[in-house]
Amino acid sequence: MIRRGLRRAALFIVALALVAVTWELYVAFGPEDGGEVLGMRILPRASERAMPHTWEMGQRLFDPEVRGQDRPIWLAVTGYAWYTFRMALVGFLLGCTFGIALAVLMSRFRVVERGLLPYVVASQTVPLIALAPQVAALGGNWDLPKWTWVAALGAFLAFFPVSVATLKGLSSTSAASLELMDSYAASWWTTLTKLRFPAAMPYIIPGMKLGATAAVIGVIVSEVSTGVRGVGFASLTYAQKATSDPAQVYTAVFGAALLGLAMFGLVVGFELLVMRNRPAEGSS
Amino acid sequence: MNNSAVVNPVPSDAVVVDGVSMVFNEGQQNQVEALGSIDLVIRPGDFVSLIGPSGCGKSTLLRLIANLLDPTAGSVLVNGKSASQARVEQDYGMAFQQSGLFEWRNVQKNIELPLELKGWSKARRRERSAEMLELVKLSDFAAHMPWQLSGGMQQRVAIARALAAHPPLLLMDEPFGALDEMTREHMQAELLRICAAAETTVVFVTHSIPEAVYLSNRVVVMSPRPGRITEIIDVDLGDDRDEDSREDDEFYARITDVREALRGADRVAGARGIEDR
Ligand SMILES: Nc1ncnc2c1ncn2[C@@H]1O[C@H](COP(=O)(O)OP(=O)(O)OP(=O)(O)O)[C@@H](O)[C@H]1O
Ligand SMILES: [Mg+2]
Repeated sequence: MIRRGLRRAALFIVALALVAVTWELYVAFGPEDGGEVLGMRILPRASERAMPHTWEMGQRLFDPEVRGQDRPIWLAVTGYAWYTFRMALVGFLLGCTFGIALAVLMSRFRVVERGLLPYVVASQTVPLIALAPQVAALGGNWDLPKWTWVAALGAFLAFFPVSVATLKGLSSTSAASLELMDSYAASWWTTLTKLRFPAAMPYIIPGMKLGATAAVIGVIVSEVSTGVRGVGFASLTYAQKATSDPAQVYTAVFGAALLGLAMFGLVVGFELLVMRNRPAEGSS
Repeated sequence: MNNSAVVNPVPSDAVVVDGVSMVFNEGQQNQVEALGSIDLVIRPGDFVSLIGPSGCGKSTLLRLIANLLDPTAGSVLVNGKSASQARVEQDYGMAFQQSGLFEWRNVQKNIELPLELKGWSKARRRERSAEMLELVKLSDFAAHMPWQLSGGMQQRVAIARALAAHPPLLLMDEPFGALDEMTREHMQAELLRICAAAETTVVFVTHSIPEAVYLSNRVVVMSPRPGRITEIIDVDLGDDRDEDSREDDEFYARITDVREALRGADRVAGARGIEDR
């Protein structure tokens, strides 16, 4: 277990180093004003302004946010990321609760599934950037702090994968097990808690992994359009200063990436806890 | 040997199947007449095997007794009650070809499942599951997860689970079908020992003639399309049958009887699916 953990950590560092090396190679040998592939301008400019050196980014972490301050930027970014993390976590938990409840309802009543599923799918194609200010404005009427609405928008993206995965999981209980519960004259609720739900866990957890990432994206995007000062908002303000301080925006990108990893890690921890006694994947 | 004449049922009978027929998807194109007018009386303490070619409705008959299906016509009584009443009161335990254990529960918790659903206290459950583990000789594996056990051990856990609430009736559908010959014979002896100790009535579906004869005091031979009882063969190997009973003349004689009865049934349908092991 510990050895596997160490090996994973080592692999992670190797992967990180590879990314850095690729980055530097591109900065060194890439086209100075970007490039075209099949007539489309998609290759980024390899200029130092657009793609600062990795070591400059690293160094930048220890300089202050604005000239003259003592606080290094990594501390500031960590603060923003922590704020965003809390909103994303609330959003994720909210999304899981809602998504699972919805899936239970849909698996219980076929009518609900037929009636609701199209809307559930459609809900995910609503452009969140456009929606976020409206929702936040709406929130003003309700006298709730702005961050609750940002969290709600995170939940809005998180519930979907959780719901779809749970629905699939709840409907893939083996017929023999259901028959067994039937032979005990077990109620619908008992069958759900003792059989359907635990049996659905291997489906629900991957859905939660997607949901955790989706919550982070939802919160970051909503911050930008609502002005809640988390890591998403920070990346926007930093990006506006990109010409004079190109490395700064990447410190916010690191913050966001770290936060995404933390959310994902949380779900992995949950998985280890719940699945610790299950057969290893692949065997049965 | 006696034919399937209805012995007058009395209220104390374990199972009374009275004029039961079962038609799946009635009125549709894929209509299947699975069972046609079945009469069967099983006395308390009986060990009855159902044998017949594949598709003759053995599992269907077992599901009807378990009230997992409702018959198209006729009625089923279990312990003098309607089958649905008996199911609600958990008058029977069930075990299938696949052990059907819950992989997220350890052996002990699997055995305690029916007790949990009955609302037993934790202390009482512990006591009973320990007793059942002893019975199936798996006391050392209480905390193991099902997937850490061999197929035969899993099957024993499933039997322990089926018997945990001490149901008067045990319904089994090819429970040893997936086991190798040695384990299978061992499990047969175990099952006889366990059921004798708990005075359980058993209805046992199998494809194996020796298994049916070794275990049962009555072997019910069925024929397909629609499923019917063609013959009921009494086996008199005594109550203390053991490995030596497999060498008994009675054992061979009854195997021959069952095989001939099956040939008759087979000729009717031209079906296959019976093994001679
Ligand atoms: N749920 C169902 N819906 C439709 N037809 C069914 C259903 N269950 C069983 N049947 C049909 O009823 C007939 C009897 O099936 P059953 O499973 O009882 O046979 P069996 O004797 O147990 O066979 P086997 O020895 O292969 O297990 C078959 O023709 C089968 O196709
Ligand atoms: Mg069958």
